[in-house]
Amino acid sequence: MNCEEAIKLVGGYLDGELDAMTSEQIELHLDGCSQCREAYEADRNLARAIRSAPYYKSPVELSRQIQSSLRAEVNGRARQKLSSHRRALYSAKESTRRLVIFGPDWSWMALAAALAVAALITFTLVPRSHQRSGEQFLATQLIASHVRSLMANHLTDVVSSDQHTVKPWLDAKLDFAPAVFDLSNDGFPLIGGRLDYLENRPVAALVYQRRKHFINLFIWPAESVMTTADKTMSRQGYQLVHWIDGDFNYWAVSDVSEGDLEAFRQAFEKQLPRR
Amino acid sequence: MIMAARLEAQYVPEPEDFDSTIGIVNFSVLKKRPEQLATPGNEIMSFEAMMLPHMDAAYNLARWLLRNDNDAQDVVQEAYLRAFRSFGGFHGSNGRPWLLTIVRNTAYTWMKKNRAVDLTSPFDEENPVLEIESANPATLLEQSEQGELVRQALDKLPAEFREILVLRHLEGLSYKEIAEVADLAPGTVMSRLARARAKLMEFLRPRRGKEI
Repeated sequence: MNCEEAIKLVGGYLDGELDAMTSEQIELHLDGCSQCREAYEADRNLARAIRSAPYYKSPVELSRQIQSSLRAEVNGRARQKLSSHRRALYSAKESTRRLVIFGPDWSWMALAAALAVAALITFTLVPRSHQRSGEQFLATQLIASHVRSLMANHLTDVVSSDQHTVKPWLDAKLDFAPAVFDLSNDGFPLIGGRLDYLENRPVAALVYQRRKHFINLFIWPAESVMTTADKTMSRQGYQLVHWIDGDFNYWAVSDVSEGDLEAFRQAFEKQLPRR
Repeated sequence: MIMAARLEAQYVPEPEDFDSTIGIVNFSVLKKRPEQLATPGNEIMSFEAMMLPHMDAAYNLARWLLRNDNDAQDVVQEAYLRAFRSFGGFHGSNGRPWLLTIVRNTAYTWMKKNRAVDLTSPFDEENPVLEIESANPATLLEQSEQGELVRQALDKLPAEFREILVLRHLEGLSYKEIAEVADLAPGTVMSRLARARAKLMEFLRPRRGKEI
């Protein structure tokens, strides 16, 4: 390597950005060339000098300002969505009314179509949703609880990734003792635990993280052997997985993918004692 | 009758599809409602968990670019809002360069609007040398004194040199990350850094012309 090449690369060498072979060649050259050596030393001194320049830490109030501006943004969005929704609803009503008054032929067709749709819904969908209404209601409750836990800054009552901290805390507050495992090794670190209220009883909520997402795992004693079937559901963009193991009901709720939530269930079940 | 029919028609059950096999019940939603997928609570929580830890880095970059506390605060706050709006497009694991890219863009937009002079007039090539007798960076000066001199010298550099030195030496970013943040071709980071260091060295060199 000659001086011209060496001078070009000396910065990269200083920054540790050269591959091993080029670094070796540079070292070899610097050992034998005092002029390039000096240039390198000067760069190194300069780098050290720059590090003595101030690092401007953010003022304390900035974090609060940012957090409140984010919330204002989200609230503004919600308001906008609501008003545009209202507008859409209003204009739809207007156009239907006009249709009925000025277009008798159309109104007959609309009536026939509406009757057909109503009949279809009555005969096909309504009985089914009735059949599942208990479960639907629970699913809605679970999702609401999950969302509330994230919105109200009340994700956890006890913050700890240590299962031996979370479990005694929950045991002391519940009339049952749920299993608690940290699943960091499977990519689901335990964040903490929380008390929640579902199906007219206090339940345990364990909070896990999956990358940017949170998983709420609700646990309470199983009351009957009727609902042994495992279930997965997807509602309102959330995934729900339900299973029963031993004496407990497990409901996991999250916005992670279906596959991720299934992996979470398997990781959790793996930890449960075999029976 | 029409009203009743319409009321019925407006009732749309949520799981439109339902089938079951032995032992397993599957519910799935046929019609996705995109506006319900992003839940505000979740979005804010995960955004803050990912991005608030980089607030010092964001502020440091903005403060160096704008050279003023108030402007830096405004720009960082605006940058966080912009980042939040495009958070859906962020899929990487390293939030810092992603956020810093937005901070930098916001800072440049701000400067274009509020003080074009920073961007258009090149710094004085001939006269900006500091009024100091000796500034041999590593040897002669006390740490704090040296830091202040380096700050003055950095503040006199053009923004493109200032930012790359800050990103490399104060923020410790890799060349790859610097290329992402400063919108450079990866191959040009080393040479721009070399030019920036040379220029800074010139500013810090004692006026008597003694070589470092």
